[in-house]
Amino acid sequence: MTAKISLRDVTKQFTVRPGKGSKASTAGTAGTSGAKEPTTLTALDSLSLDVHDGEFLTLVGPSGSGKTTLLDLLAGLSTPTSGEVLVDGQPVTGPGKDRAVVFQQYALFPWRTASANVSIGLEGRGTDGRKLNRRERAAKASEYLKLVGLAGFEDRFPHELSGGMKQRVAIARSLAYEPDVLLMDEPFAALDAQTREQLQDELLRIWRATGKTIVFITHGIDEAVYLGQRVAVLSARPGRLKEIVDVDIPDRDGEDDIRSHPAFVEQRHKVWTLLHDEVRLAQDAGHRKILPDGTAPDEVPGTTLERSAA
Amino acid sequence: MTTTLAQQPAASAALKQAPAVGHSGPAEAGRRSTTAILAFLRTAAASAGSGLWKAAGIIAFLALWELGPTYLASPSTRVFLPPLHEVLAAWGKLFESGSIQTHLAASLTRSVSGFGAALVAGVSLGLLIAWYGRLNAVLNPLLELFRNTAALALLPVFTLLLGIGEESKISIVAYAAFFPVLLNTIAGVKTVDPLLIRAAKSLGLSSLALFRKVILPSAVPTIFTGIRMAGTASILVLIAAEMVGAKAGLGYLIVNAQSSFLIPDMYAGILTVSLLGLAVNFLLVALERHFSRWRTAVGSGS
Ligand SMILES: Nc1ncnc2c1ncn2[C@@H]1O[C@H](COP(=O)(O)OP(=O)(O)O)[C@@H](O)[C@H]1O
Ligand SMILES: [Mg+2]
Repeated sequence: MTAKISLRDVTKQFTVRPGKGSKASTAGTAGTSGAKEPTTLTALDSLSLDVHDGEFLTLVGPSGSGKTTLLDLLAGLSTPTSGEVLVDGQPVTGPGKDRAVVFQQYALFPWRTASANVSIGLEGRGTDGRKLNRRERAAKASEYLKLVGLAGFEDRFPHELSGGMKQRVAIARSLAYEPDVLLMDEPFAALDAQTREQLQDELLRIWRATGKTIVFITHGIDEAVYLGQRVAVLSARPGRLKEIVDVDIPDRDGEDDIRSHPAFVEQRHKVWTLLHDEVRLAQDAGHRKILPDGTAPDEVPGTTLERSAA
Repeated sequence: MTTTLAQQPAASAALKQAPAVGHSGPAEAGRRSTTAILAFLRTAAASAGSGLWKAAGIIAFLALWELGPTYLASPSTRVFLPPLHEVLAAWGKLFESGSIQTHLAASLTRSVSGFGAALVAGVSLGLLIAWYGRLNAVLNPLLELFRNTAALALLPVFTLLLGIGEESKISIVAYAAFFPVLLNTIAGVKTVDPLLIRAAKSLGLSSLALFRKVILPSAVPTIFTGIRMAGTASILVLIAAEMVGAKAGLGYLIVNAQSSFLIPDMYAGILTVSLLGLAVNFLLVALERHFSRWRTAVGSGS
């Protein structure tokens, strides 16, 4: 197996401007100094990780451990402070059609129908330099909406869809321009348990059918073990790679409830133990986290670690 | 708005019953169809009822206008408050002679030209300012100053510079309409959800495509709110400008009738102004609603 994605000694630091309160200085690693000076926050600290071609890798870590930061680096939405991010051996210089991102909050364009949302990535020139016409784009959108189980919903606007359906549209949108790599940032965290399980199975089906390389960030230990071939555990901030757990479960397609299989229980416990120490560390540090987009999804009740791990 | 809201429960009840008609026996179907008719009647009654309620205030006002001057006002004020039928008669005469049309046309030409110019300038400059943050920093204090200077306070300046002809009136309308459009355009662009921008970037959109396909559409509802405010402002300012110095237009009609002591004519002019205002607002609200369809449902939906 070759490495599709390589992170080599990747460090990402943010300069945090001191706010009115003490938030910034308590969050900063060097934050004990005066309130006026900007502090440096190390989100990721010399992290090295390889993701194989066609692999399904899940990534868990306490809140604020730099998971989203890592995903932004892979997506090309930001650049590392030091170190290298390689996809297919080439350094990532920006977003590209070889990678797609699925966000927790769906990020659908509310003024576009499901079909138009899916086809937005097809409107520019394709990799072969050819531009698809409107009919071809609509056909392709329908094809991918069908793949995610939303045939017949082409003309619905996002506000007419449930959370699970919105996330299906977002997945279809990311698949439609046929990227090799799917980057998913807690995509199912905002969904109810039943919808989440359903989408997990569909994602596995799509992964098997398409052979994409998937990097899937999650809070849920169950989810991580259920979906991933390997589970990467990040340490509390500054994020370092703590351990990679190989998930070895006989057969996910079986009729039985795989989650009660002894092998599953064992792996789950292993990840839980690794993560538990880190969560305690993170809690002791008492930090707050703010996402680049200003939200703090981790603080939404119902998506906490305890909840999804139970 | 309230009409449609009131209709919904009854209408949806009728809809729910509709499919049942298909797979039930004829007797059953008969009963069903009577309930459907009943539901329809209820809907009609409800809408008529709510229409009546909405009209009640207007009707009461018109009745007061008709009867008040005759029975409540003192003889000396009665002269200045002609009852409704006299005003309508005066309006009819003005209409027959074609002078209402002439004045309305003059006002409309001015407001449409000024408003149109403001629209083009406000939207394009607003997009430019919002897109280039540096420009915003430089221009913002200046814009605040201009925005808070009442347009009518500048009327003498416009008249001095451009004379009392069409230019000064069109310009002051444009000036008054410009700021709501400009400021709302800037606000619309600035308040685009950053998550959507991240998503668009991750989809590989170029900056131009990002602007055209994400920033602009998400700013459209806010821009339209500005346009609606501009519509109201432009009529207000225009009438005032026409009152001060003009040879045609609704504002001129009103002051001229007043100074010629044609009191019913004056009220006919005022009535026309309010109808024009209503029509413009109705049109712009409809446009705004059309362009924000996707947003209006957001509040109730997710
Ligand atoms: N744009 C930014 N500016 C400053 N700090 C940031 C920025 N983005 C993330 N951080 C900080 O980096 C740390 C890691 O954040 P993130 O990657 O979002 O964590 P998570 O693992 O919960 O996704 C947090 O402490 C967060 O406050
Ligand atoms: Mg995150």
